Amino acid sequence: MGSSDGKDLSGKEVVRFFENRFGTHEGLLSEVMGPASGKSVDDADLYFEYTTAQTLSLEEGLVKKGGRHVSQGVGARILSGERTGYAMTEEIRPEALKEIVRTARAISAEQGGTGAISLSASHPPMHSLYPVSDEDLDVPVPVKKDLLLEADRVARETDSRVRQVMVSVYTEMKHIMVVRKDGLIAADRLPLIRVNVTVIAEENGQRQTGSFGYGGRIPFESVRGERLRHAAREAARQAIVNLSARPCPTGTMPVVLGPGWPGILLHEAIGHGLEGDFNRKGTSAFAGRIGERVASPLCTIVDDGTLADRRGSLNVDDEGTPTQRTVLIEKGILKGYLQDRLNARLMGVAPTGNGRRESYAHVPMPRMTNTIMLSGESDPDEIVRSIRKGLYAVNFGGGQVDITSGKFVFSTSEAYWVEDGRIQYPVRGATLIGNGPDVLTHVTMVGSDLSLDPGVGTCGKDGQSVPVGVGLPTIRIEELTVGGTA
Amino acid sequence: MSGESMNDLLSYVVERAKTHGASSAEALFVSSDDLSVAVRKGEVEKVNRTRSRGVGLRVFRGKSQAVVSTSDLDRGSLDVLAREAVQLALETAPDPHNGLPGTFKRELPDMSSLGICEEPAPHLSQEDRIRMALEAESAAFAEDPRIRNSEGAEFQSAVTRRSLVNTEGFSGSYSRTIYGLSCSVIAQDGDSMERDYWYEQSHYLAGLPKPSEVGHHAGRRALSRLHPTRPLTKTCPVLFDPEVSRSLISHLVGALSGYSLYRNATYLKDREGTVVASPLVSIREEPLCPGGFGTRPFDGEGIVSSPKILVEKGILRTYLFDAYSGRKMGRETTGNAVRSLGDVPQVGVSNVLVDPGTKTKDELIRSIGSGLYVTELIGFGVNAVTGDYSRGAFGFWIENGEIVGPVSELTIAGTLDEIFQGIVEVGSDLRIRSSISSPSLLVESMRVGGT
Repeated sequence: MGSSDGKDLSGKEVVRFFENRFGTHEGLLSEVMGPASGKSVDDADLYFEYTTAQTLSLEEGLVKKGGRHVSQGVGARILSGERTGYAMTEEIRPEALKEIVRTARAISAEQGGTGAISLSASHPPMHSLYPVSDEDLDVPVPVKKDLLLEADRVARETDSRVRQVMVSVYTEMKHIMVVRKDGLIAADRLPLIRVNVTVIAEENGQRQTGSFGYGGRIPFESVRGERLRHAAREAARQAIVNLSARPCPTGTMPVVLGPGWPGILLHEAIGHGLEGDFNRKGTSAFAGRIGERVASPLCTIVDDGTLADRRGSLNVDDEGTPTQRTVLIEKGILKGYLQDRLNARLMGVAPTGNGRRESYAHVPMPRMTNTIMLSGESDPDEIVRSIRKGLYAVNFGGGQVDITSGKFVFSTSEAYWVEDGRIQYPVRGATLIGNGPDVLTHVTMVGSDLSLDPGVGTCGKDGQSVPVGVGLPTIRIEELTVGGTA
Repeated sequence: MSGESMNDLLSYVVERAKTHGASSAEALFVSSDDLSVAVRKGEVEKVNRTRSRGVGLRVFRGKSQAVVSTSDLDRGSLDVLAREAVQLALETAPDPHNGLPGTFKRELPDMSSLGICEEPAPHLSQEDRIRMALEAESAAFAEDPRIRNSEGAEFQSAVTRRSLVNTEGFSGSYSRTIYGLSCSVIAQDGDSMERDYWYEQSHYLAGLPKPSEVGHHAGRRALSRLHPTRPLTKTCPVLFDPEVSRSLISHLVGALSGYSLYRNATYLKDREGTVVASPLVSIREEPLCPGGFGTRPFDGEGIVSSPKILVEKGILRTYLFDAYSGRKMGRETTGNAVRSLGDVPQVGVSNVLVDPGTKTKDELIRSIGSGLYVTELIGFGVNAVTGDYSRGAFGFWIENGEIVGPVSELTIAGTLDEIFQGIVEVGSDLRIRSSISSPSLLVESMRVGGT
């Protein structure tokens, strides 16, 4: 399993990790990349990955299940104009590497180069957003068992109506190395940890569920203690609240979103529609709208891959571009798109460090990192008090968007009906639906309480999943359609 | 790697696990070889060749369990992994219900009768693949000048192999070939821009329709969605197209899992033998259905499963179990173990079919005074614990038995119990397009959220 030195965490150390494990010295890499050297090739890269993951889970008070997983492989990509050729192998040895490059190269009609490419001996300067060693992440199993058992105990102590508690902890260390046609070698190691607590509560034959997850690119130590107990209590509290939930009213109405994870609104309504691929192709509802007003002047939205410790953060993206903070919407005006290298090249703009992929088996695409609306000036309590009749939604499950029409949904897991500024009762889960390009034009209040989600987001696009983050202050939206049953 | 050498490798892995102290073990090999060609606006856009394989190992030490997986198939690495699996099993809590399924009926069906693998694979050049994708896309563009843009068309072929070996003497493997053609285009007219797609798949190349039919369908679907309106919020009948009714069936089937049952995590707890749907609804599972997209000779634990009735005229006949969840509930496995490389078995289904009724879709539409015909659903607003259902929808509005136009930005909501018991018509339009197949379903009344 992972054996890299936990102290030197620079990209160079990861390059050495691959060299020691798979013999990927610079001479071999420049030879393997030879067929990519032809003039008709606009861009090319090799993506090496070695990932180890550990899982441990509890139900019925017992730590019943443990797992360890190793995943290794290389993907070769060759781009010519708008064309992409991709091939991969899980056998990291010279002949297999040469074969995948040849296969990827075969899509370009012209003859490939025959020489070698020259690789830069120096590595680009990188962020150091998550300096976590293997030992700090993958602690001994008994330590993880204690964590699971404590969460179980705290959740059950929270309320006697708690009947079932499921807890899991997932840790992952991913080593990546990108070798590019332009000679760049970028490498990184990405720790990731996630704890999940799910509770089922029962009363008078009624069952309800609550869950709370958290984590990030942080050491195991950071998920213990008060954070763990908070998660267990929150999961239990949510299930108990939902036991008294009533059918949710239906129709178009004012909606106030609480801070943090409800930022999934931004991810679905705005973020996907601003990804470079859809805009280059003109298939997004936001295509060709840079400089136009797409939100109220209260809204400034950024995608920021450079936040320390965050689940959605990266030192470099999966194409070797350093991540950055990209302003998407400034005071309501559309400012920019999220780019990978392919779409940036074809649109004649700079990449933004958003080229991401699930693994070596997948082609990179423009993807979000941490998508955040900046704080405004309203008092959050005042925003809730401003509702005459409407919904106050504080927790959500997943969401989805139709990029072309702009219609998006996200589903509440904890929400309240509000009348005359006062919370009346919790409501059962309901889907909210809106139109991406105009939902934020209806934002009339933005709170001063920006908070980031607890570290659980996973985004799916074209069958590829990547970890992401969101952040939101309390906001008021004048009209959104609520899919209740009442 | 041939089936035989895969099983040799797996036998090696389970033997190593036993040497390291496992009382029993089960190893899985999965490989896939996938080639896809995507075109967009008449040009090749992407060619993707993915060859992938991995081994998953589940070990028991006494009544404790652990699972490991890897894509590194070096025998030395596999030995290390087997040892780590046994060590990990020492750390997990014993559970009396853990263990391999035991020796059940093990006569594997004749693979060629399953119709899921084309052998020998027909020769298909890169040019053939590109041509089929191009034909699909150009047929979509030819449909109407308002088809102005495209997300492209894709031809895909894949071969997957699966082998399972355990220390109770089970050893089996099978292969599946699949060919798929899809097309996604955008219709534009004034301010209105709408996307839609169509796909077809088959285990045999000759089973695919003409590429132009796929494109034609995608184009027609996108055009039909132009200039949608939003309906008024109301309670009304909702007709589910087969493309969306199968998602309803998947929610019901998901709520039958033995795991959800012992966790109290299903709205269908304690409902076996009772009414869970309208008497018009009968649902069967056919694990060996020739050519079915969920067809497999054995389940994720090596059980040869038999056809069974899940819902008979609205009455729930059985829950679904693997070995573990079955023992937990005092039942036998129903042959519904689904195993992925990196996890212990879960409960899932092979092929599920809803028995068709007699009315065509047009007849169903004509029977609706005022209501919604749903063709696409988005979002994840389904709660299996409570049965609460609320999703975003796209479709068409019906007045006086006629479609008046497309609608979007609306929600439909209810509970799974009310929805299934409220089914008043089952259409005749059953077609097997995926592992779960259903004809159109007409639900008497749901809450529709709009303006």
